[in-house]
Amino acid sequence: MVVVTVGVIMAFIVVLLIVPILIALRGSFHQWNPLNGTFTWVGLDNYAELFADPQFARASLNTAVFGVAAIAGRVVIGLAIAYALFSRLTRWKGFFRTVFYMPTITPLVAVAYVWKLMYNPQFGAINSIFGLDVNWLFDSRFSLLAIILMTIWKDFGYAVILLLAGLYSIPEDSLEAASVDGANSWQRFWRVILPLLRPMLFFVVITSLIAYLQAFVQVLVLTGGGPGTSTQIISYMIYEQAFVKYNFGYASAIAFVLLLVTAALTAASWRFNSSGGADRPGRAARRRAARRAAAATTEGSAR
Amino acid sequence: MSAIQKTSSGVPLTGRRAGRTAAAPRRPMPARTRAGVIALNTLLAVMGVFTVFPFVWMVFSAFKSNAEIASLDQTFFPRDWTMANFESIQTKLDFFRLFANSVFLSVSITVLAVYTSLLGGFVFAKYRFRGRGFFFGVILSTMMVTWAVVIIPRYTMFRNAGLVDNYASLIVPAAISAFGIFMMRQSMDAIPDEVLEAARIDGASEIFIFHRIVAPMSINAISALAIFQFLWVWEDYLWPYLMISTQSKQVLAVGLTTFNGQYSTDYGGLFAATTISILPVLVVYLVFQRRFIAGAASAAVKG
Repeated sequence: MVVVTVGVIMAFIVVLLIVPILIALRGSFHQWNPLNGTFTWVGLDNYAELFADPQFARASLNTAVFGVAAIAGRVVIGLAIAYALFSRLTRWKGFFRTVFYMPTITPLVAVAYVWKLMYNPQFGAINSIFGLDVNWLFDSRFSLLAIILMTIWKDFGYAVILLLAGLYSIPEDSLEAASVDGANSWQRFWRVILPLLRPMLFFVVITSLIAYLQAFVQVLVLTGGGPGTSTQIISYMIYEQAFVKYNFGYASAIAFVLLLVTAALTAASWRFNSSGGADRPGRAARRRAARRAAAATTEGSAR
Repeated sequence: MSAIQKTSSGVPLTGRRAGRTAAAPRRPMPARTRAGVIALNTLLAVMGVFTVFPFVWMVFSAFKSNAEIASLDQTFFPRDWTMANFESIQTKLDFFRLFANSVFLSVSITVLAVYTSLLGGFVFAKYRFRGRGFFFGVILSTMMVTWAVVIIPRYTMFRNAGLVDNYASLIVPAAISAFGIFMMRQSMDAIPDEVLEAARIDGASEIFIFHRIVAPMSINAISALAIFQFLWVWEDYLWPYLMISTQSKQVLAVGLTTFNGQYSTDYGGLFAATTISILPVLVVYLVFQRRFIAGAASAAVKG
């Protein structure tokens, strides 16, 4: 049973992941177009072209803006709502939890079309509700913002569920100790709860980072990268180079840069998380607290 | 993703919290608290309306005529309810056929992937064998690989194998899920080995133990994974778009973009088409949401 199962899984990984990665790496050193059958060695030309390509520079900037804004929005809104749901004063917790998670489990392509209609300047709900006159998707000042807003709406529920689970796993005696020591609720949140929630916040940020660097369906449906290059992001650029222009070699080179950036950013945030806050006092105490919170989370879910 | 796990081996919980908090007597609510209740619940209600609004707007708009959608005088509810949009997308693109295709693919891939994840999780959680840590590390690391790197080689591989327009090209790459194996292993770690030992002493075969003991005990994780997996197949756009060329075999997500490309001003049709894509998933979620949220949070907490 062990040999067969592990063998099948490994064969699957080799054939459908490792071999493709190697083919893509090799392809990134070639001028590769399947339509006219070219596959010519060009060395590092694709990479050189990439770093001189103004569109790639713009796409990198947009990806950074999109990623930072979407993660910030997702985490801040998710934390605010999770904390509100955590409060003893809140009613209908189960109902609200179900509601906030709804966008997360709906298909992205369809949701993106709904938002495309919501942004419609003629009859879209957003302009008519807020009394605005903005051409969201065809005005380069607003197009990226429109994509970010849709993404935050779609994804904040995921942060709510995870952060709520994190909040419930905080040991009650540390909350009690804080109020015995005379901490007001503001201090209690910033000094006790937030540090204890750090492992879960970190998990949300990391998974969001990996997801948003790969996101492209929003752009495909809402703007197609435009107007101009205002919503061109790296993953959409890969899609366009590969399956609109069939520049497989160039697209593979961009994809490898994206893979390296993802790996580097993930590694960097691991480092930041394990050494974070070194410049501020009480670091050891907070790490101890975080460890306790993590112990509680695993313990809680094992039951 | 294992940092949370690693830290959890640290400080154990003190056993103080049991019994102490439960004894607190109920006091009448002071006025300040009542204001807090109102403020919190209002905030949550407003956010809840924002969350649900696009869905509700989509459903009502799907029953409006195109003339009504585009009219200057907007109303939330349709003035004249009509089924015309649903009839028109059916005649234009045979949407119910696409719907059936998506259901078939999502259900069969979900069943397959959940089963292989259970099996993989079982082997990695409950057997000791050489290279276990290494193989599990390989599986985990595949989660970092972006679609952008592997999709071009996979596209050429499946084309060369003559699998275009064949559902095998959609089912095979999704048959084994690293995330699923990881999630199932986490959930099965919580099942005590003594349970398995007792069954073995009673003469149960490993196959019996897997199907009749371990799998039923993982029901929360199974339902969370099943909904995620169903959604991933349901919303997958790029791969079916590349692999399926016959319109009658196509899936819903691609059908939406085809429809929007061919009939870009048929807004009523687009509302109806997105409604068909979103509502069934929402219904499945609402039916299983309690078990799903428990499973989803625990999987991530342990990650």
